[in-house]
Amino acid sequence: MNNWVEITMKLNGKTVSCRVKPSSLLIDLLRDEFKLKGAKPGCLEGECGACAVIIDGNAINSCMYLAINAEGKEVTTIEGLGSDDNLLDAVQEKMLSHGAVQCGFCSTGVAMSIKAYSEKMKALGIKPTREEIKKTLEGHLCRCTGYIKIIDAAEAVFEEGSEM
Amino acid sequence: MDFEVVTPHTQSELLGAIAANQGKNFRIGAGYTDLINQFKLRPERDLTVINIAQIREDTFRNISKNDRCIELGALVTASDLLGNDTVRKEFPVLCEAASSVASMQIRNTATIGGNICNASPSADMSGALVALQARCRILNVKGERREEPLVSFIRGPRQTSLEKHEILERIIIPQNTSAVIKSGFEKIGARKSMEISIVFLAYHFQLSESGIIEKAGIACGAVAPVIPFADRACAYIVGKRLNELKDDEKEAFAQKVMEYAAPISDIRASAWYRNEVLYNISKALFE
Ligand SMILES: Cc1cc2nc3c(=O)[nH]c(=O)nc-3n(C[C@H](O)[C@H](O)[C@H](O)COP(=O)(O)OP(=O)(O)OC[C@H]3O[C@@H](n4cnc5c(N)ncnc54)[C@H](O)[C@@H]3O)c2cc1C
Ligand code: FES
Ligand code: FES
Repeated sequence: MNNWVEITMKLNGKTVSCRVKPSSLLIDLLRDEFKLKGAKPGCLEGECGACAVIIDGNAINSCMYLAINAEGKEVTTIEGLGSDDNLLDAVQEKMLSHGAVQCGFCSTGVAMSIKAYSEKMKALGIKPTREEIKKTLEGHLCRCTGYIKIIDAAEAVFEEGSEM
Repeated sequence: MDFEVVTPHTQSELLGAIAANQGKNFRIGAGYTDLINQFKLRPERDLTVINIAQIREDTFRNISKNDRCIELGALVTASDLLGNDTVRKEFPVLCEAASSVASMQIRNTATIGGNICNASPSADMSGALVALQARCRILNVKGERREEPLVSFIRGPRQTSLEKHEILERIIIPQNTSAVIKSGFEKIGARKSMEISIVFLAYHFQLSESGIIEKAGIACGAVAPVIPFADRACAYIVGKRLNELKDDEKEAFAQKVMEYAAPISDIRASAWYRNEVLYNISKALFE
């Protein structure tokens, strides 16, 4: 019998504690324990990016991340984007307006990667090129959009940033 | 997937955990991008994971430099390397290798220690470090350290020289002795993104002001059970002027690189294809 471990993290802005089985993955903790179904189990092998969430500012695949290593960290899922006055984050708005969402299976992961990357680039005052944006999104498989619209949406997020 | 986990936060807790588990079946876990898939493919019974992801000590985490070398903690991630100015400017081969690993999400967690200790012949960052003639600093449960060149540390697929009471602590890269370098990482995969190397060639040349190759480091990946350092190819090219190599010299150089290749055919590529690719990218280095 395994010894369950108590962890505390900041999940979508709120401090939460829970007990986890040491070998459980973050994706399962988020979906099963916290009922946050935004991170999708696609391949569960690190290939598709459907399970991406943001930890301390970095997008990671939650299917390859031990839940216990979220201890003390700030975890953001798609459910944590947006705010009270603005239901959708700018990333989500741009994805919608550019037709970057079709079936939607890949979209939450894509949004998290764009979000993490755009926050980092804005902090550094850098506006990435289209090639750099593509490189950032290479870990996301989409069987619907053909990627162009996703990349257009991401580019638009940076256009927005430069106007501010 | 079911295993016990011990999570040390300091070096002494880590050494204590390794000592306490000597009689048991245990694995070290860092970024888990190799391990999780391995655990799923080949479940092990009664397994304990010593989870080093929460170690705070700088020695496992930072990138430091002095006049002789630059050092990387085993927990430095591919993204950490990409964000480091020294690595970007002085060791492009390592930066390009880190950038070619999988995807942003994986680069954010994949550690250099895991890339090395997984001991895959197609490990990109490990290949760049072989070309840079890096050394491994290894720590044992008594707190003693030993150093070994990376090229001999890797013994075969999934095999290193690490003993059960040891852990990889740090990687040490000798400083460049020249400011003029030609350094890079040629990776051939089946597609552009998210691809494990079919073949790679890691190279790091240091040149005199007048363009003569003074030092050379070349490693090739996915063409042998380990990542060979092509020393005969290096010896051949040293002393020559980089921009004035004749065609027969480029061919001779590529032939010498090929001496280190004993590729296998697998699901990704045939041995014949790997040989051809290695020859062509070696020759094309100077075009
Ligand atoms: C979808 C996908 C794509 C990938 N693409 C690439 C690619 O393009 N190029 C590439 O090179 N790799 C690739 N990888 C493999 C992997 O991401 C890298 O090898 C990574 O660097 C492993 O680091 P980690 O921290 O995740 O290691 P882990 O999975 O935590 O560990 C790997 C091995 O190293 C051991 N280990 C880790 N740290 C230490 C230490 N300090 N001391 C002793 N032993 C240790 C572990 O016990 C284990 O045996 C890919 C993986 C996935 C899932
Ligand atoms: S489900 Fe995690 S990468 Fe595919
Ligand atoms: S929108 Fe369907 S997989 Fe991307």
